[in-house]
Amino acid sequence: MNKISARLLIASGLLVIAAVGRLHAAAAPTPESLFAELAKLSPEQRQKRVEEGARKEGRLNFIHTFRGKLARDHVRLFEKRYAFVKVEMADMGSQDAAERLIAEETAGRHLTDAISLAVPDLPVILKQNLLAKYPTPATRRVPKQFQGFLDKENRWVPWYWSEHGISYNTNLIPPEKAPKSWEDLCKPAYKGQISFDPPETRFMVGLYVMMGEEKFQRWVKCIGENQPIIQRGHTQRMNLMLSGDHAIQGDNFLYVGAQEKKKDPKTPYAIVYSAPILAYAGVVVINKNAQHPHAAALFADWTLSEESQKYVADEFRGPLIGTHPYLPDDVKLVTFGNVSDEIVDRLHKYWNQHIGRGK
Amino acid sequence: MDLRSGFSGLPARIRLDSSRFALGFVLLILLYQVAIPLLMVIWTSLKVARPGEPGFFDFSFSVANYVRAFGSGDFWHASWNTLCFALASTALAFGLGTFLAWVVHRTNTPLAPLIGVITLGRIIIPGILITVSWILLASPSIGVLNHLLEAITGAKRTFNVYSFWGMVWVHSLEITPLAYLLLSAALQSMDPRLEEASLVAGAGQWSTFRRVSLPLILPAVGAAVMLLMIYTIETFEVPLLLGGRAGVRVYTTEIYFNTARTPTDWGLSGAYSIAILMLCAGFLAAYFRLVRHGERYQTITGKDFRPRRIDLGAWRYLTCALGLLLVFLITGLPFLVMVYASLLRRYQPPSLEILHSMSLENYYEIIRDPAYSSGPLWNSTLVGLGSATAVMLLVSAMSYFVHKTRLRARKLIDFLGFAPIAMPSVVLGAAFLWFYLLFPLPVLGTLTIIALAYVTRYMSVALRFVSTSMLQIHTELEEAAAVAGGGWWKNFRAIYLPLLRPGLMAGWFWVMVHAYRELTIALMLARSSNRTAAVVIYDLWENGSFPQLSAFGVLIFALLIVLVLVGQSVGKRFGVREQV
Repeated sequence: MNKISARLLIASGLLVIAAVGRLHAAAAPTPESLFAELAKLSPEQRQKRVEEGARKEGRLNFIHTFRGKLARDHVRLFEKRYAFVKVEMADMGSQDAAERLIAEETAGRHLTDAISLAVPDLPVILKQNLLAKYPTPATRRVPKQFQGFLDKENRWVPWYWSEHGISYNTNLIPPEKAPKSWEDLCKPAYKGQISFDPPETRFMVGLYVMMGEEKFQRWVKCIGENQPIIQRGHTQRMNLMLSGDHAIQGDNFLYVGAQEKKKDPKTPYAIVYSAPILAYAGVVVINKNAQHPHAAALFADWTLSEESQKYVADEFRGPLIGTHPYLPDDVKLVTFGNVSDEIVDRLHKYWNQHIGRGK
Repeated sequence: MDLRSGFSGLPARIRLDSSRFALGFVLLILLYQVAIPLLMVIWTSLKVARPGEPGFFDFSFSVANYVRAFGSGDFWHASWNTLCFALASTALAFGLGTFLAWVVHRTNTPLAPLIGVITLGRIIIPGILITVSWILLASPSIGVLNHLLEAITGAKRTFNVYSFWGMVWVHSLEITPLAYLLLSAALQSMDPRLEEASLVAGAGQWSTFRRVSLPLILPAVGAAVMLLMIYTIETFEVPLLLGGRAGVRVYTTEIYFNTARTPTDWGLSGAYSIAILMLCAGFLAAYFRLVRHGERYQTITGKDFRPRRIDLGAWRYLTCALGLLLVFLITGLPFLVMVYASLLRRYQPPSLEILHSMSLENYYEIIRDPAYSSGPLWNSTLVGLGSATAVMLLVSAMSYFVHKTRLRARKLIDFLGFAPIAMPSVVLGAAFLWFYLLFPLPVLGTLTIIALAYVTRYMSVALRFVSTSMLQIHTELEEAAAVAGGGWWKNFRAIYLPLLRPGLMAGWFWVMVHAYRELTIALMLARSSNRTAAVVIYDLWENGSFPQLSAFGVLIFALLIVLVLVGQSVGKRFGVREQV
């Protein structure tokens, strides 16, 4: 009898604990409801509430898509500003970050609060409905030319932008003979001298937005006929070009060469400004099930602060606010975001048909 | 206990003791470390839904992924390229590796130890660096070798690393140390009396090598050829960095391009993995057939055993020169390029002007932030030591059960031990990530999860290292010990482990070094506190320039040389002493 009573008592106790836990869970606001509440406050009250909440949470689990030292130094600035938040950071590529979040959430493990990633890598996360809507006054600082990076549903906070453009080795090609436009890359004079990465969705989407589908198809065909160099690795291709291996980068980030040029002004590097530069945003997104929503919000807002934006510029990335470190103000930009999977499939098909993955 | 179930030749008493416990332990680990990830891969390959999507855990299956994987002409074209690439690379690497192992371990060639150390030094240098070094050496436009040759002879663009044979050359040099290690272990464990008998009977050195030495090391030869083939089929860096410009598309680049979009197509990846697995199973069956008469290769018996070296006379100077030339090409030349690049701000072909601008700035940049470099280096050291030691102990026991017993499960053990070689790192990393997300053991974000993944990843190669040595040990030693009353564990520890030393050391070295180099799994499982050296290499590769990456490579090289020397001196205490 005693044993039965004891078991009943234990079972009842467990039920009570479970019920209390459930009540507690029910009472705790979801990140989205919390953010909706915050949106009703004045900016000052809101900031105070966010900081208080972050202080209680004391921690942020964040995935950065800047790599290594670049990422760590960025986060260190945040930790210096808000010493009460300890950031547990992992750094990886944008696609890997998206995969990681999906894997964790699918398994029901809410290990990541926020991630930074490129907008073209967002669709897979959006499809799974994993992001919290986060309206924030911080985005009011985004200047008009970059307002296209904002999301009407507030699912992300843009904080920097990346660029793809044409550049060349000035030892191999004098400026007067350099290409002036994307179409110029088809000229026979540059046969076998232009390098690209293997088919890259972001780059192709940028070209598609700039040219439209028909023109893109024609362009890919003529590039294919011009014996392009297809080699994996943006930085490595840039270094090879600067070493004299080939003359032109048809698809690459421009900052690598610009950084080299700053270190050593003799670096034989020039950017083709007359050809539009393709630009897409890097954004912070907050997990719908974030365990530290205040800290995530604090970080998302901070990325648009003067301090963070200066860091972006100092590291030769594109800040949304302030002066770009090396591109002139009047540079021709084509900004782009997501397109449908069907379009992406078609772009890959064209590329594989005419350019392929090797010569 | 049923005597027919295995352990023939041993008294029944032994079969009931610790051997059963060891067998159970090995099977349990194989189930946990290999069977579960393998099952996840097979399951995923038969599902249209991604992990986590509705229907993923349903018992409805589809071959759609297999149809997609093998339904395109491109894939079969790439497969043909892969076959040519694998055959050419294996032949070259096997020839070079065998020659070096023979020179170092079985002849009185001067400087043999130095040749051996420099050959192994090659394994330490990350593959990315070596491939880029060869681009800098033999690129038609900027290759140092082409510049030198042009200056001397006027011949332009003689070498072209961006070609099929360029790929074969760079990859062969990459895998030559593997052939060297496998053959070295076998040559060191070989009883020289049979060779001496052949020589006394009037056969020449070459005839003795061909008719006596080579047949005795047949298991090692089989293992080496099989592993070299599989490694070439699996290799990624050379096809990725050189293949695009060479116009040579191989299996791995096809897989990469077909699965590189977000979200990762796990079903397609799984289908490709199963295809490689089937191929490996075929290789393993051929290997089993080759070594089916295991007793033929048992050269380590109860009699006095001391490996001896062959006196080459004056020819030893030629073998020395050839050996030095080879190791210069395999390790020395790319290492020098790496050191040269590490002193530059930006890579440029050598010139007087460049020599004046050299500095140690890249080293300073890396060292000045200890958290950036020393933390991951320490993590890699821990993971490397832990996983290498665990793997070698595990595969020693596995190899014993496979080759020294008649257990029905022995082929299954060998297959499970070998199966991980067929799982690309990205698939294995994902399997571990998913497993520990679904079963919340507290290992996420720790070094343990990386070490566990490495145990699986490197089990297959380590098993072959130890198996070749195990096949050479005669069972009479264990039988004698058993008659004398020793228990299984005591005999295993006192007889097998010391006699396996060459294979164990070679395997330990291989796993240890690769734990430093392995990138994909480390990246997939990395969080803030478990970053490894390979992750730093990747960061430098993605962010910075080749010079800084080279500086980090030089630092890793120095650290690993120290670790390996320590490991060797520890290993020598417990092994067979050679008579030189």
